[in-house]
Amino acid sequence: MSLFADLLGVFLNGLQAGAIYILVAMGLSIILGTLKFVNFAHGALYLIGAYAGLLIANEVRLSNGLLQQYGYETVGLDLGFLAALILVPVFVFVIGLLMERYLARAFYDRPDIDQILVTFGLAIIAQEAFRVLFGGQSINFARPGWARGPVMLPAIGNFPRWRLAVIAITAVLVLLVYLLVEYTDFGLIVRAGTRDPEMVELLGIKLTRPYIVMFAIGAALAGVAGVVGAPLENVNPSIGMETLVPAFLVVVIGGVGSIRGAVVGGVLVGMVYAILVGAPLASIPVIGGAISWSAWSQVGIYALAALILLLRPEGLFGSEEVS
Amino acid sequence: MADEVGTSTEQGFGDEGLYERWLAIKDNELTVAVITIVAVAIFPWLFADAPFLGDFLQGYRGLASLILIWGIFAIGFDLLLGYTGLLSFGHAAFWGGGAYVAGIFSAEVSGLPLLVVLAGTVFAVLFAWVLGFLSLRRGGIYFSILTLAFAQMLYYMAAAPLSSFTNGENGFTSVNVEPLFGAIDLGAHVFWPASILLGEMLYVFIAAFFVLAVMGAYRILNSPYGIVLNAIRENEQRAEFVGLNVWRYKLMAFIISGAFAGVAGSLFTIHGNYVPLQSLYWTESGEIVIITVLGGAGSLFGPILGAGLYLYVANVVSGFGTIGTLWHLILGIIFVGVIWLFPRGIWGIVSDVRDLIGDRMGGDR
Repeated sequence: MSLFADLLGVFLNGLQAGAIYILVAMGLSIILGTLKFVNFAHGALYLIGAYAGLLIANEVRLSNGLLQQYGYETVGLDLGFLAALILVPVFVFVIGLLMERYLARAFYDRPDIDQILVTFGLAIIAQEAFRVLFGGQSINFARPGWARGPVMLPAIGNFPRWRLAVIAITAVLVLLVYLLVEYTDFGLIVRAGTRDPEMVELLGIKLTRPYIVMFAIGAALAGVAGVVGAPLENVNPSIGMETLVPAFLVVVIGGVGSIRGAVVGGVLVGMVYAILVGAPLASIPVIGGAISWSAWSQVGIYALAALILLLRPEGLFGSEEVS
Repeated sequence: MADEVGTSTEQGFGDEGLYERWLAIKDNELTVAVITIVAVAIFPWLFADAPFLGDFLQGYRGLASLILIWGIFAIGFDLLLGYTGLLSFGHAAFWGGGAYVAGIFSAEVSGLPLLVVLAGTVFAVLFAWVLGFLSLRRGGIYFSILTLAFAQMLYYMAAAPLSSFTNGENGFTSVNVEPLFGAIDLGAHVFWPASILLGEMLYVFIAAFFVLAVMGAYRILNSPYGIVLNAIRENEQRAEFVGLNVWRYKLMAFIISGAFAGVAGSLFTIHGNYVPLQSLYWTESGEIVIITVLGGAGSLFGPILGAGLYLYVANVVSGFGTIGTLWHLILGIIFVGVIWLFPRGIWGIVSDVRDLIGDRMGGDR
């Protein structure tokens, strides 16, 4: 393989690694930017998305957990991946609506710390509920048939089909959200509400509904990220929090409330991963299987965040006023 | 000693009731010290060996020491959360980092307990300085997120790139604790009558640090310094306008609380002779947050109470059949309930009840 092909491979791997973080971070960033609500339970929404996707798409054999104890050894609908991709966002959207209405709204006027604490508590509840019901073991999320195996790409050679699918799905979703926020009346109202909620209300527009919808969209994005991301790794109760931390870093790097920031931050984080993982370039795992996250790649993204914080505390696309 | 305090204040308050006399001395530094020492001295016996109570609680002495260690951690954390209003999600870095450095120091340099604690604490202080410097560049929620992120960085460092020092996933096992001052074995029992209450020297060693931690925190909180920290929590902007260098105060509060965590982490190493990799993981930061908030942030004794309850439930109740498997879930639900309804935690509820009784007994109205 030539150097150019290696670099292209690393680039694609970086895009794929970043894609999941972009989806999670976009929702986090929107909710944080518009509603000023810190959602530590956003990772739990990812977790719910992953489990819901798993159970809709596949049939799963349980080896422990409460459900297994009560005789439900196989659970799941076995409807296929596309069904999961359509149903899960709807499901998590509804959860988002309920969460805004019955939880977040009660905490808008309370200190930031209370918001973090209560959503953190919620994240624990979600994680533990899954552990109790389905057991703590990792469950394999089978990839859909059409996305198994490698695909021949010019210059690069074999590349896992599923990773290309992840990149494509993310690109479509990012585009949709971008169009929604930038080019629709709904997006205009939400953006105006971020700047000056009082003025928007004086114009006779009630912000409650756009806000609750925005919250739910953010939640649904985390849910989709769960469906898309889970086939890359195994599903277990702790993946929610494991995704949340890097996603927060992406938000901090990109700047709060900025979709562009979430995308650029996610790509940057993904690239740092890919470059460090691929440092001995030959070790890039090409065909399926687990990704060999080498240890420095984990440390690298935190170093990136530290560097950007020192140079631009408000994030790459953030504005001073949001903070 | 308790009698001396009683008589010295008695003169000033003549014929007033017992309750008023108690009110007058209860916030006295000496009173706090005496109460702490007495409580710490009888705690392991009450907890583990007392007839009826000990059997009922099913406590054991190792757990009593562990509760004091987490108590120190919680006191330090509360200086930051309860008094300065900064929610750090990265204290696992100081707890686990201190524990690792203490362990490595004991194996490579010297196993003298005081030096081991010193090494762990110095590391925690230095690391808290760096982490605080970075994280405090953004306030509020960003601070929480950044502390969480940078603490995770330390975890990943210990997990693999530095595994030649830390022994990676298996945790650091070659801890080597020597006798205190080279003469007193920490595993030996204290001389006879005292050993009924205190048991091993290790407990005395840990308890001494605990008393120092309580007194240190008490001193800080009742000094002008503590008042500034409170002012920052109440209204940061106002504190800034008064001319205080808020950033420096916050950084110092962060470092002090990191030092407490470092002491606790080092003691944890000496206590267990082992440093699990888990001690650097973010869940450890989460646990200290839960302990402090459940117990009652913003009070000196609330977090200690929280540490006791949490560790008791985690180590004893979690063994009871079905409740054991569900305990994390139940804990999460209780945690959310407490934040929603009683932001001042268990200690807040206790002190509300106490005030109510106090009002009745005081007879002012």
